[in-house]
Amino acid sequence: MFNEMNVLMLGILGLFAVGLYALLAVRNLIKIVVALQILVKGAIMAFILAGKINGHMQTAQSVALTVIVADTMVAVIGLALAVQVKRRLGTLDVNELTSLRG
Amino acid sequence: MTQWLVLSVIFVPWLGALLLALSSDRAPRLQHLVASAFAVVTGLLSLCLLPLVTERTVVSVAAGSVFGNFTFVPDGLSVFLTVIAAVIGCLAVIFSIDYMHGEAQLGRYYSLVLLFIGSMTGMVLTSSMLLLFFFWEMMAFCSYALISFYNDDPKAVAGGMKALIMTQTGGVGLLAGALIAYSFLGTYDIQTFLAYAHRLPEFALSIMAFGFLIGAAAKSAQVPFHTWLPGAMEAPTPISALIHAATMVNAGVYLLARFYPAFAAVPGWTTAVVVVGVLSAFLGAVMAITASDLKRTLAYSTISQLGYMVYAVGVGAVYASQFHLMSHAVFKALLFLGAGAVIHAVGTRDMRQMGGLGQKMPFVRNVFIIGTLALAGLPFVNGFWSKELVLEEGLAHGPLWAYILMVLGAGLTAAYSLRMVYMVFYGTAKKEHHVHDAPAAMRTALAPLALGTLVTWLLAGWLSELLTGSLPYHLSHLHAPGTVELIVDVLTAPATLVAIVVIAAGLLAWWYRDLFASLSKAAALPAAMAGADFGFEWLNRVIVGSTLLAGSVLRLTQTGHLSWNALGIAGGAIAVLGLLVWGS
Repeated sequence: MFNEMNVLMLGILGLFAVGLYALLAVRNLIKIVVALQILVKGAIMAFILAGKINGHMQTAQSVALTVIVADTMVAVIGLALAVQVKRRLGTLDVNELTSLRG
Repeated sequence: MTQWLVLSVIFVPWLGALLLALSSDRAPRLQHLVASAFAVVTGLLSLCLLPLVTERTVVSVAAGSVFGNFTFVPDGLSVFLTVIAAVIGCLAVIFSIDYMHGEAQLGRYYSLVLLFIGSMTGMVLTSSMLLLFFFWEMMAFCSYALISFYNDDPKAVAGGMKALIMTQTGGVGLLAGALIAYSFLGTYDIQTFLAYAHRLPEFALSIMAFGFLIGAAAKSAQVPFHTWLPGAMEAPTPISALIHAATMVNAGVYLLARFYPAFAAVPGWTTAVVVVGVLSAFLGAVMAITASDLKRTLAYSTISQLGYMVYAVGVGAVYASQFHLMSHAVFKALLFLGAGAVIHAVGTRDMRQMGGLGQKMPFVRNVFIIGTLALAGLPFVNGFWSKELVLEEGLAHGPLWAYILMVLGAGLTAAYSLRMVYMVFYGTAKKEHHVHDAPAAMRTALAPLALGTLVTWLLAGWLSELLTGSLPYHLSHLHAPGTVELIVDVLTAPATLVAIVVIAAGLLAWWYRDLFASLSKAAALPAAMAGADFGFEWLNRVIVGSTLLAGSVLRLTQTGHLSWNALGIAGGAIAVLGLLVWGS
């Protein structure tokens, strides 16, 4: 029951669920970036689990490292955008960002 | 060598399109020059392909297991249509130098024209059904964007939208056919399909055959999908000449001719093709005789002439259809460009406001009359030979009722051709126009086409060598004669005599139209029906209306809220995952 595979699987599902829920529910731009981070951490762990199952651990680790790098960039750019949005528009609420609505 | 030539015929105009799309509209002379240079080079490259015709696959790009191989085969049929698209495209671009003089946004205009030329050559040269579909839809996009070129005119925008939706609807039939072929044969390759078509189950082949027929009818503006073509006349006239008369509308005929060997055995298919062709040829001629707009008259006449080609394919005369396609492409481009010169000078498209222009524009009048002779099928210009050949094959291999309607259509064609020339160039001037004859660039485009109208029928033997030499699956359906054989054949066939008598009767009927004045009340009902597109407008309304309705309903899903979009992405991922788990 409590072997490492199941624990890892539960962790992945938990991170995914929390991240997805946060992504759908929160409206603060910074919190959205945080939600994305949680979601992607779940995805990275899913790669490791997949590598463990099919035996290609090297591939899984290199993919996981690549995702970590890409994910960090997303976080950096997302936060920088959030700072700019707050400075220029005075709000971080994504539903109030309607200046491009047609 | 051949492979580079094949690729360059597609990519050189696309390179020109890219350059012109990026060019500044503040240098219109440079834009005219660059566009003409690229168009002329494409035309010359296409001519270089002629001696290199082969039935082998010369280019094959592996594109993965989903898309199959992107293959190109420059066989007789492909190269023949490539030359027509590139050469007439080149002349239309040269004509545009005068016609579009002083217009805004020439970069957009020329880049779309060159994109179209590249797509058309790609469409005919490719041997992959999937790639054929992609090029097919690119042509539809260029056609749409050029019909709506004057995008502040609501009629032009509506006409473009209508053309796009109607041809896309037909495109679905093409895509469905390609996917069926792939699911049974594991390849999109047309040559393989033609070789192994008999291995497909009958129902699958029937769906493909009729799907392709719908696609072809929508693209070639055949009944009942023809209503988009008159609406497409809002485009600048060189576009009407190039896309909606000489090249793109031939794509449907090309498709039917290309797949004829595979579909001929499908029960009911050849009959359906003949019915579509006959209805289009006859109803198109009736609608042309009642229209008063010069370009709409020519559009209806295009529907009618394309009907002759579709009919020829239906009776199994693939060569006759391609021969008439060549004649029609040349003389209809001439007529449209001539009409463009008239419209450019007069400033209206209504023939009732013209009249007496012949003395003021003698050059345009002369070339227009040459084109009209070919359209009417009078001896001895190119339209005569090809139309007689179509009618002769129709009498020999097709049903009699179809032949009778086609001959009557030829008589009507003669009548509306004469009416058109008379209303535009003769009679008394209805309005005072300050008219000048066509300027130099227009003449440069019109003169070769007029010459071509007089002599392209001499290429009949060359065309039959081109087709018989490289189309192994079509050989038994070609009936391709040599030039001398064709002349003897046509001149001695009873079908020719019948057609000439009917054509003469058509000319006389219009000339002595006063005698029939008492009949005009009886003709009022058919005339009104013709004016209303014989009620086929409802089909068009249903298709266009339901598409626009679906668009406005689906627009509700675009809330612009981030969380809804994220939910959509997550839901889509879960759906795909579910499908994969369920399917395995």
